[in-house]
Amino acid sequence: MSMRTSRTARAGQYAALLGYLVFLAFPFLWLISTAFKPARELGSLHPTWIPDHPTLDNFRKAFDEQPLLQAAANSLIAAVCAALIAVVVATPMAYVMARRRSRLSTAATGWVVISQAFPLVLLIIPLFLILKNLHLINTLWGLIMVYVVWALPFALWMLVGYVRAVPAELEEAASVDGAGRLRTLVSVTAPLLAPGIVATALFAFITAWNELFFALVLLKTPEKQTLPVVLTHFIGAEGAADLGPLAAAAFLATLPSLVIFAIIQRRITGGMLAGAVKS
Amino acid sequence: MTLASATVRSERRGPPGGSQDKRSRPAGRSAGTWFLVLPALIPILVLSVGPLLYGIALAFTDAQSGRTRSTQWVGGLNFQDLLHDTLFWDSFRIGLVWAFGVTVPQFVLALGLALLLNQNLRMRWLARALAIIPWAMPEVVVGLMWRLVYNPDAGILNETIRDLGLGDGRDWLTGLATALPAVIVVGVWAGMPQTTVALLAGLQNTPQELHEAAALDGAGAWRRFRTVTWPVLRPVALAITALNFIWNFNSFALVYVLTNGGPGGRTRLPMLFAYEEAFHYGQFGYAAAMGCVMVAVISVILAVYLAGRLRGGEDR
Amino acid sequence: MRASLRTTAAAAATALALLLTGCAGTDDGRDASGRIELSFQSLAWQKESVDANKQLVKEWNEAHPDIHVSYVQGSWDTVHDQLLTSFEGDEAPDIIHDASDDLADFAYSGYLADLRGLLPGRLTADIPRQSWSTTTFGEGVYGVPFLQEPRVLIANTKILTESGVRVPTPDEPWSWDEFRQVTKELTGKGRYGVAWPLKEPVSVTLNLGLSGGGRLFHRGADGKVTIRAGEGDQVVPGTIHDQVDTDHSASRTALGMGGSDTLPGFFGGKYAMVPLGFSYRQQVVEQAPEGFEWTVLPAPAGSAGLAQGVSPQTLSVAEASPHKKEAAQFIDFMLRPPNMVRLAKGDWMLPTGTAALADPSLHTAENGWATGVAVAKALRPAPAQSVRGYPEWKDKVATPALQEYYSGAIGAQELRKRLVDDGNRVLARYQR
Repeated sequence: MSMRTSRTARAGQYAALLGYLVFLAFPFLWLISTAFKPARELGSLHPTWIPDHPTLDNFRKAFDEQPLLQAAANSLIAAVCAALIAVVVATPMAYVMARRRSRLSTAATGWVVISQAFPLVLLIIPLFLILKNLHLINTLWGLIMVYVVWALPFALWMLVGYVRAVPAELEEAASVDGAGRLRTLVSVTAPLLAPGIVATALFAFITAWNELFFALVLLKTPEKQTLPVVLTHFIGAEGAADLGPLAAAAFLATLPSLVIFAIIQRRITGGMLAGAVKS
Repeated sequence: MTLASATVRSERRGPPGGSQDKRSRPAGRSAGTWFLVLPALIPILVLSVGPLLYGIALAFTDAQSGRTRSTQWVGGLNFQDLLHDTLFWDSFRIGLVWAFGVTVPQFVLALGLALLLNQNLRMRWLARALAIIPWAMPEVVVGLMWRLVYNPDAGILNETIRDLGLGDGRDWLTGLATALPAVIVVGVWAGMPQTTVALLAGLQNTPQELHEAAALDGAGAWRRFRTVTWPVLRPVALAITALNFIWNFNSFALVYVLTNGGPGGRTRLPMLFAYEEAFHYGQFGYAAAMGCVMVAVISVILAVYLAGRLRGGEDR
Repeated sequence: MRASLRTTAAAAATALALLLTGCAGTDDGRDASGRIELSFQSLAWQKESVDANKQLVKEWNEAHPDIHVSYVQGSWDTVHDQLLTSFEGDEAPDIIHDASDDLADFAYSGYLADLRGLLPGRLTADIPRQSWSTTTFGEGVYGVPFLQEPRVLIANTKILTESGVRVPTPDEPWSWDEFRQVTKELTGKGRYGVAWPLKEPVSVTLNLGLSGGGRLFHRGADGKVTIRAGEGDQVVPGTIHDQVDTDHSASRTALGMGGSDTLPGFFGGKYAMVPLGFSYRQQVVEQAPEGFEWTVLPAPAGSAGLAQGVSPQTLSVAEASPHKKEAAQFIDFMLRPPNMVRLAKGDWMLPTGTAALADPSLHTAENGWATGVAVAKALRPAPAQSVRGYPEWKDKVATPALQEYYSGAIGAQELRKRLVDDGNRVLARYQR
């Protein structure tokens, strides 16, 4: 279709694309700019894009003021565990949902869709009371379990798509050749599924890494809090904010997910699409 | 494209049910199935289905925080109170304005971007990379970042407005009139990548041959979009807007960080409202009732939307 | 029913829970060697005050090997929600730093320990009775008020002197009318006489309102509280409203700001004065451009003089703490006069204790300390903070109503109607 595109149309397309780029990128650039500005420039009435006297002070201050490393470690533990557990429990279930047509699969698919519609508030109060009775309030384990369940719908959604992409004929052929069911799964299905599983795990990781609401409610002692919760601490009473360290910490907190996203972008697309079209 | 979308294509060709039945194997494997399903099923039952039922039950009690009281059934009293709580319905209205206000522009802008990215433009790689940024950022960071942008005196938005000679700028997040629109812009910004990526994947699924054939027939860009692209994109668009709507209606972190519901409750989304009720005032039962009402209304809206759209598809 | 649901859910998940947590042992707040473990959650925010708090904890631990206190960092922004859920989850810290206006619901719900009988006579006598009244709910005392800050006017010295207006002192402050007049004179091209950062308008309005004789909350003979608006209640809101909407001597954009948001405009000469909490001086010192001159003025006075309400910062003990006595000892240590002075300086606030307030280092004119100290005796408990349901009234009714009134969206009539009628409805729910 490119052959039919006239020159003016092309120019228009570039202009539109530029508009999109500006809209999408400028807040992030402003965040970076703020992170490197000294306090006096931040107090200036006429802020500039490029700091006059770039400084790392804000980063130092951010680490001084809030337990960022501790929080990052907590976030990392919670997100890694949640992602691993989520794919470990979700993959077999997704396999069943993709390959078998049973009442269970239907119910599970229904739950995947419906669970997206729950307002978290309705869940968080009972979750809070249940976890309290299990003595899991204020523990990373409690949070991880919540994250696993929270990531499951999307993980199932993606994984079902990936499983369907593995032709059932391959498995049938393998079993005709006399391979046992388990062996078929391990030697035929699993390798083909691996990239999808990795993408799903990374996606679950990012979801947990970024999550604020559950962490805010479930984690009480500051040394257990995750990065998003600690970031909110940079806003003080009456919304007073220490802009520089705030920007510095926010910037650092974004880096891991940016990197991961760069890696899995295309795979997520595929999984999402497969799920979306099916439902 | 990836494996997955290849399947999408293959599945669309046959009737959806048929290809699946062929794949299903005969019975006689239920023990194995349970073994595969249980690890996911147990946490789902305990931490998702359980809390949901518990939450619904809570809505009919007077559960409150505190060491001193015991909880009692109060029947529909919470819902009766809710009926007269004008502040909640204000908040509900704001929630709907927000959800539509974000979902619709999000879809339109994302569709435009996806169409552009599907063209063979230079710098496309950069655009694709940048388009992902908002998605990769924690919502908290998105909120904090836009606070910096909107800051009335030290923010870049007002400074740009001043530089362009368009006046003195505004107090975006704290002005009664601008707060909700300003927050909606952030919502659109934050949700665009997901929508774009989904639509882009759908676009890359449209058969190129059809496009070229239509182009040779002399069909204009709009007609090609209507007749070739849109029918393929439709299911994706339908799913992603429905999901976006739900996500947006239930969103919390963004607005919590941006305005915390202010000014004057102008951005107090129902989620924030219920959160405050539960974890600020300790009224667990009342907050659970709010949650129930939210689920009910969302379900009705979605049912109408999806039913309407699906029927629209069959008529064609 | 809650019990049965709980049991079901608990039973279903017990296996998982055991796997994950091991058996939850009983927690009596002692470590293996029998040393008592206390946790102290501080909300200190500025670096100097975090340092002061941590230093004091360190000194305590050195002096008391058998009672170990660990410092835990909290945050003002989320403290109420965080404490509520930790109390519910039985995870609350032993020693709790908060503000008196946040304590009422916790005290009434039985989460905080009644401190009567736990505190030594020295501390009880050192802090004036009216400060104690900020933490007295019903019969009990649920916190020790230790730091407070009046609202003061921070002014751009150059603009002030050039305009030739009379500079007020604590002995001869501006009246509210005079203040309105002055802001008109200070207003010029591209400049406002004052910027009211009223992101949280309720406490400012009520607290300063005391000077004009405002009360709003009236406790009846039956102990029930109702809201009534009189003449005195209109002085402060009226002045602010007129400055913004009639005289245009107060910036409209500033209305939605938090205190620190106004500072760039203040440094840039856009605002001649900013009414801020006393502690904001720290940010002014840190961020002001070279050569910027500023001064601290007392807030305007009304029929009740310089009176204004404050909600002091407080230290409380959790009811669930197994070591209330030791926790109270720690509070006593933190609040010895020299230590209270250190905390006050770290937070750039005024101590409540009379001994600490007399400390010469707080009477210096530098950075406006002396002005603050001079205002201290006019400080009163913030109105309504002991009223049940006040937080909900504040968030849901008063904040939106005042914001709309100040920005000119509604008039005084509608404001009064909302504050009083809608307000009484909320309060009624708590006083059934």
